[in-house]
Amino acid sequence: MTDRPGLSRHPGLSRRSVLLGGAGASLTIASPFVHVTPARADKGEIVVAGWGGSRTTAMREVMFTPFEKATGIRVRDDGPPEAAKVKAMVDSGNVTWDILDTDIPAILAMVNAKLLEPIDYSKLDKARLGKIPPVLHHPYGLGHLIYSFNIVYNTKAYPNGTQPKTWADVWDGVKFKGARSFPFRGGLSPQLEFAAIADGVPADKVYPLDIERAWASHDKLRPLVTKWYANHAEAIQLLSSGEIDICCTIGPRGLVAKKDGAPIDVEFAGGKLAPDNWAIVKGARNAEAVYQFLNFVIDGKVQAELAKRIPYGPSSQDAFAHLSEAEAKQLNTSPDNLAKQFWTDIDWWGKTAENGKTNNENQIERYARWMVKRG
Amino acid sequence: MTLVAASAVPSAKATRAWRARPGLMIAGALAFCAIVYLLPMLSLFGWAFQGPAGTGASLAQLSRLIGDDTYHYAFFTTFKIAAITTLICALIGYPYAYLMATTGPRLAMLLTAAVMIPFWTSVLARSLAWMILLGRKGIVNEWLTGWGLLERPAALLFNSIGVQIGMVHVLLPFMVLPIWSILSRLDPGLPRAARSLGASPAAAFIHVTLPLSLPGLAAGATLVFMFAIGFYITPALLGGPNDLTIASLIEMVVRDLLDWPFGAMLSLALLGLVALVFACGAAFAGAGRIAGMEGR
Repeated sequence: MTDRPGLSRHPGLSRRSVLLGGAGASLTIASPFVHVTPARADKGEIVVAGWGGSRTTAMREVMFTPFEKATGIRVRDDGPPEAAKVKAMVDSGNVTWDILDTDIPAILAMVNAKLLEPIDYSKLDKARLGKIPPVLHHPYGLGHLIYSFNIVYNTKAYPNGTQPKTWADVWDGVKFKGARSFPFRGGLSPQLEFAAIADGVPADKVYPLDIERAWASHDKLRPLVTKWYANHAEAIQLLSSGEIDICCTIGPRGLVAKKDGAPIDVEFAGGKLAPDNWAIVKGARNAEAVYQFLNFVIDGKVQAELAKRIPYGPSSQDAFAHLSEAEAKQLNTSPDNLAKQFWTDIDWWGKTAENGKTNNENQIERYARWMVKRG
Repeated sequence: MTLVAASAVPSAKATRAWRARPGLMIAGALAFCAIVYLLPMLSLFGWAFQGPAGTGASLAQLSRLIGDDTYHYAFFTTFKIAAITTLICALIGYPYAYLMATTGPRLAMLLTAAVMIPFWTSVLARSLAWMILLGRKGIVNEWLTGWGLLERPAALLFNSIGVQIGMVHVLLPFMVLPIWSILSRLDPGLPRAARSLGASPAAAFIHVTLPLSLPGLAAGATLVFMFAIGFYITPALLGGPNDLTIASLIEMVVRDLLDWPFGAMLSLALLGLVALVFACGAAFAGAGRIAGMEGR
């Protein structure tokens, strides 16, 4: 080896030190789940892990910034709140998220893996909590923003109210010839409730689910489905391009597309409501600030402001006192729309079956099995 | 940090020692590889041989893998898709590379650009573009029905046709480039010599050019096959229920079911199967090269 004097101009910096430093830096980069610990200000800081995009922008505007002004506690957003990331954080003892904004299947998986802190409901404002339906008071998650699986359709294929209006219609390939799309993968459970309802089970008697009856009905859906979609954005894209006509997907997403001018509309009848929840990560360091934040954001007025920006239903019925009739009509939790739909039974999906796994886990796995074997 | 600080003042003696032992530098690189590649692999092994819910060493994951044929179907589908993709890539890629290697510089440049430019575009963007092109109301079907070639739109999407079109498009460069690199360095005098000794053009190609280019073909096929095995986005977007790959199921197990031990077992099984295929491929390519040299 020849000596190359030009390599390092710094007399104190040998090649070896550069190499060692480089190796150290690479190590840091190489571990994807190592998060830089945020500096916490005197008043404290909480980190809310959410889904980003327009949703986080709206939350920052109506929740995070007003909360910071009111309390002096800084709110940092991060995400996406994937269960696998939370698991890596908790397992490594390096928890940097405090609050998650996520759905029930993810919460159930995290509860099973002991990654969440139970919510202490005695620390929450009684009056505000009372406006939120009790079905949304899960021990590990408080429902705040409601999504729903609905019949979302292309208005060119079904103009002037000719769309399928019940799940039996969606299952009827003779009366409605259009191409269907249903969700599969991406952590989504099979839509067994709709299968049962299409087979004649009344919506208020769906739970406890007759699993075998539902799967038998699901078999009949199979030839009608053109695409088993893997993520909701894909579903909306397929609908607006006319590639499919009828889709079982998130109604509020359909409404966002409709607002943007896509030929899409949503049939609320028969829809299945489910909450996105505030959940607390195990080992969250600033418990007091966390509850201050939760009390702030479950206020009906704050939720109403959020609903004006993103068309997901507010969980607090008090929110509708702050919304116009036209605004309420587009939301899945307005009193009218609420009456047409039913709530996902969180307890049923979270119940542990004989094999030690939850119904949710078992049915997700069975969904893959069903998909692979009946092809 | 103390290591860096201690070595910050280099003495003449230290520099000499450094120069005398270049092995130290190699050791550093090896240590880096060990930490970044070997340790995670070992921990994958550790996960895979754990019982359910992280209980002690056990073969529970292995027996679950052996017992559940859902995953066998997915492995089979994955290897089937990869094999078909490799075959189609070889059938299209070889003539293409041959033309690239034998034609004039201008056309060769154009052909190279045609392969390389899509190569620099994201796989996701290309898969989405195929969705627009191949759809029921996509351009391809509009043309086919517009010209009266078809009465109704053909099902080009959400089935294995869509998957193959998307995957061949993405992976073709990995077949073309290795073959081209061998063919372009081939002595043009060799096939010419065969011709002058009375061989027909076809015979000259089959007995001289093809055997000599087999290593390129083997390298291309290995690359395409390996990438195809791990493909995830394209089959998920363009495929139907019969195109569910093992990568999709690993994602489901790791991300949705949070069953990391079983996810690790699936990953190891995939790794083992790929290693097996690679070993077979290497043996075959080796044999091919030996045959080629004997021919020379």
